[in-house]
Amino acid sequence: MNFLALVPIAFPMALAVGMHFVEFKNESYKRAYLLGGVFLNFIFAMMVIFVANPEMHIFKINDFMEIYFKVDGMSKLFITMTSILWIFTTAYSFDYMHHEGKEQKFFTYFLVTYGVIVGISLAGNIFTFYIFYEFLTLSTFPLVIHTGTKEALASGKKYLIYSFSGATLVLLGMILLFSVTGTLDFVPGGILEGVAINNRVTAAYVILFLGFSVKAAMVPFHSWLPAAMVAPTPVSSLLHAVAVVKSGIFALIRITFYLFGAEAVNAMHVRGYLSILVALTILMGSFVALHQENLKKRLAYSTISQLGYIMLGILLLNEDGLTGALLHLINHAVIKITLFFCVGIIMLRTGYKTIGEIRGIGKKMPITMGCFSIASISLIGIPPTNGFVSKWFLAMGGLQENRAIFVVILLVSAILTAAYLMPIVITAFFPGEMGKELENSEPPLMMLIPVVVLTGITVAFGLFPNFILHFIQGISRSLIG
Amino acid sequence: MYNSYPLIIILVLFISAFAIPLFKSIKMARIIGISAAGISLVLSILTLIGVKANGAYYFRVGHFDAPWGIEFHIGIIEGLMGVLFMTVSMAVLWFSIYSIDHDLSKKKVPLFYTLVNLLVGSLLGIVFSDDLFNCFVFIEISSIASCGIVVVKDKKENIKAALKYLILSSLGSGLVLMGIALVYSLTGHLNMAHIHEALVSIYPEHSRNMLIAIGLFTVGLGVKSAMFPLHTWLPDAHTYAPASSSALLSALVLKAYVILYIKIIHRVFGMSIVGDLPVLNIVLLLGAVGMIAGSVLAILQKNLKRMVAYSSVAQMGYVFFGIGLGTTMGLAAAIFQIFNHAFTKSALFLSAGSILEKTGKKNISDLKGIGKEMPFTMAIFTIGGMSLVGIPLLSGFNSKWNFAVAVIEAHRVELLAVVLISSLLNALYYFPVIINGYFGEESLEGKVYRNTERPLKELLPIIVLVLGVIYFGVSGGGLLSLIEAGIPALN
Amino acid sequence: MGHLITNYYETGAIILFGVGFVTLLAHGNLIKKIIGMNIMDTAVFLFFIAKGYISGSEAPIIRSVKSATGYINPVPTALMLTGIVVAVSITAFALALTIRVYEKYGTVDLNEIIKMGGE
Repeated sequence: MNFLALVPIAFPMALAVGMHFVEFKNESYKRAYLLGGVFLNFIFAMMVIFVANPEMHIFKINDFMEIYFKVDGMSKLFITMTSILWIFTTAYSFDYMHHEGKEQKFFTYFLVTYGVIVGISLAGNIFTFYIFYEFLTLSTFPLVIHTGTKEALASGKKYLIYSFSGATLVLLGMILLFSVTGTLDFVPGGILEGVAINNRVTAAYVILFLGFSVKAAMVPFHSWLPAAMVAPTPVSSLLHAVAVVKSGIFALIRITFYLFGAEAVNAMHVRGYLSILVALTILMGSFVALHQENLKKRLAYSTISQLGYIMLGILLLNEDGLTGALLHLINHAVIKITLFFCVGIIMLRTGYKTIGEIRGIGKKMPITMGCFSIASISLIGIPPTNGFVSKWFLAMGGLQENRAIFVVILLVSAILTAAYLMPIVITAFFPGEMGKELENSEPPLMMLIPVVVLTGITVAFGLFPNFILHFIQGISRSLIG
Repeated sequence: MYNSYPLIIILVLFISAFAIPLFKSIKMARIIGISAAGISLVLSILTLIGVKANGAYYFRVGHFDAPWGIEFHIGIIEGLMGVLFMTVSMAVLWFSIYSIDHDLSKKKVPLFYTLVNLLVGSLLGIVFSDDLFNCFVFIEISSIASCGIVVVKDKKENIKAALKYLILSSLGSGLVLMGIALVYSLTGHLNMAHIHEALVSIYPEHSRNMLIAIGLFTVGLGVKSAMFPLHTWLPDAHTYAPASSSALLSALVLKAYVILYIKIIHRVFGMSIVGDLPVLNIVLLLGAVGMIAGSVLAILQKNLKRMVAYSSVAQMGYVFFGIGLGTTMGLAAAIFQIFNHAFTKSALFLSAGSILEKTGKKNISDLKGIGKEMPFTMAIFTIGGMSLVGIPLLSGFNSKWNFAVAVIEAHRVELLAVVLISSLLNALYYFPVIINGYFGEESLEGKVYRNTERPLKELLPIIVLVLGVIYFGVSGGGLLSLIEAGIPALN
Repeated sequence: MGHLITNYYETGAIILFGVGFVTLLAHGNLIKKIIGMNIMDTAVFLFFIAKGYISGSEAPIIRSVKSATGYINPVPTALMLTGIVVAVSITAFALALTIRVYEKYGTVDLNEIIKMGGE
């Protein structure tokens, strides 16, 4: 028995409980506690996945209900990504939440969510995954309705209904699959060996895919995501551009390649129908983003479109496609969090929320808007940024499948991405009349540093993608081939 | 050694019930009532241990042999039910020490304990007895006692609810009695095992009579255990009764009749006859409709306790659904659901009752921010609600899982949708309460928060129930295999 | 048809049962409901006792020992004695509640009481 894997799951939750018992003398003690705690947990997580490498069965209720943790390439990738982004978000949130209020509540659920996300990444079978997936909904819900306004409560309700409906579908799919296979462990290449692909298996896959795609914001299940943008910016950025939607994507990868396996999915002949939905997601997200005046909403729709890329990469079921999907999973996380942070800074410092108001703001906050521009360029996919690399692999994957239509969709969407992001950049740097006197409005260092470092990472990934590319190609080769 | 314990349990409960009025003090009533329940709990546990080790047995009441004398049949299922009933009623009695004075006038408190012991004793009688007419007598005692614990609170709504309950309940008993009469006229026996033998031998020529008899039992017991379209008495009775009574009514009273129904299906008629008749399909259909309709009705409610009461209709739908599947796994799932619902719903009713008692607010919309005023009570309510919604690691999830397995084993995969839709509907009415309780307070600016929490000591009985919910969620496999081991003895 | 006339006790019992059942369900007046309940119970008693009756036999009060065939079946009669006791107690309880209802609501019509609602 090796209970090490529980440490990075339980430690943030213990920190969250601790928040209620420790009296902080002043603000900086509290910051040290939170940042130190999150950083410590990052180290724990790294030790668990790279050093201890545990595989453990916590307890078993019956064949179906077993709590089981395992570390593999996917969990390494996902944990590393979320843990690093969590540290940045913690640092960024201090000043932002100071302004927003109710910090105690925010950080409590913020920390709990961290533990849950680690649980999701380490889950060794879909039942464990499902438990943490449900907990994720419950722990992020208070963050979504943080402001407590009527609008926030309405969005929160929408979020819950969508999430629970999705989870119910997932449960249905799990039961159907279990009735065929008798096991639900994640095994590279799938657990369907020797099982005939009949209607029940196909139904299980489609139901699981649709269930998880609710969190991954696939059209037509996407509308909770823009609604959830009423949450404070750190929440939107971390949870709705990184953790929540990405755990949906993570789940899709898990079911496609670890439960059913690429061959079985290919044999099911449902890929075409699902691809239509995904293509719709890509295009619709981009088109709707064009019309959004509110900056956060525009980014939210952009997220929907970008998530569509990743799902497309998964459904291509070939090595390049999956490599592109995994790369884009990481790249999009880093880029989107940067964009959200910049928008958050604008909202915090000036109170502006729409694109029309930010004319000329680039002069007031050159560093912030500079970072925003770099991230935008990267998301559009102009070389040599990291966005280009992931889209390149996606396009390759599409060509391998002899589906040029996918490449066309990618290109159209890239143009649309430019069309909805560049106006923000251009407006910001366009000289205009600002209502207030021009002065340097750059935010406190604690907020600026994460933005700058994340931008640095974006550029670094674009210039030197080999290290991470190598790792990802290792994963996709082990799953397909 | 343990053979006579079931009879002793019933006697202890009945004698204590009638001993209570002799002493005119509330304190004595509590001591007698609770110690009798305590003794019964210990005895029922010993019985279960004995049955587990040595298998099912018949106990001859008064040492007369079967066709003439009354027999008890004690198998693992009956033993489990004994333990379940006594555990829940112990917790409820314990809770009532702190709460019942609030609802009742001083004079009525000893009466409450009399009625509770009478009720639990008669319910156990229904569960244990192997004689149909004996069951009928226990049914009538429990009808009076359960109306009694509703009307013991002397409000006009209670009297109305109790009368409605009594009328429909005696309608149900009338149908059951007619069913017994039919069976008796066919076989000349009242002992279940003997009836079964006789029925099997005469089945081909009397199948229509048997269909009528099963129909009478189904409708009669269906009224009493709130099978869907026959549930109309339930919301009033469960809403207006004192919290402790509501908990007993939904956790135990409904269940005893279902157990009797299971015994009639499996012991009296046997699957060889019932499987040939369309009854189980109708039960399955009504169960499935109840699972959905009960939840939909619950969503429409504004009163918290009424909502919880309608949720019982949905949960009983699951039980009938499991019985209606007609397979061993379906039956096991139904019995597991009886456990799940008994623990969960009693915890829910007691915590909802505490909220009502401490704040005086009965409408869901008034309960915004209650999580701040009564954090522990609300936490208990939350766990109970989440269990019924089917969050993993709570007993409700295990229960739903069992139903899913049963449905697949019975090759009726399409019914999975019913199970899952119903659990999703559960979420639609429990979550708003929980969310409003914890997060709705922001819309009430300027509200003064009073700490209305009960002392932790007074919450302990509910916490015990919630621990049961969590225990069956984390290690429900043991209970399920025990139930599965007990089912053959039912036939 | 012939069966119905030969078994006139049973036929009568079932007709009575139906009468009671409908009275119990269809009438709003609580007293009538209770009467219906009683008719229903009586019907079952009749049915049961008819089942135990053997034409030409005596009541099982044993003065001098005859063979068992000489007596009617005593079990249903004994059961129905219990049944009567149960029915009487339920009736008493229901009547007591009806009196209380009348005190609180001023009517014994269930439909009117439900209409008054209050809650």
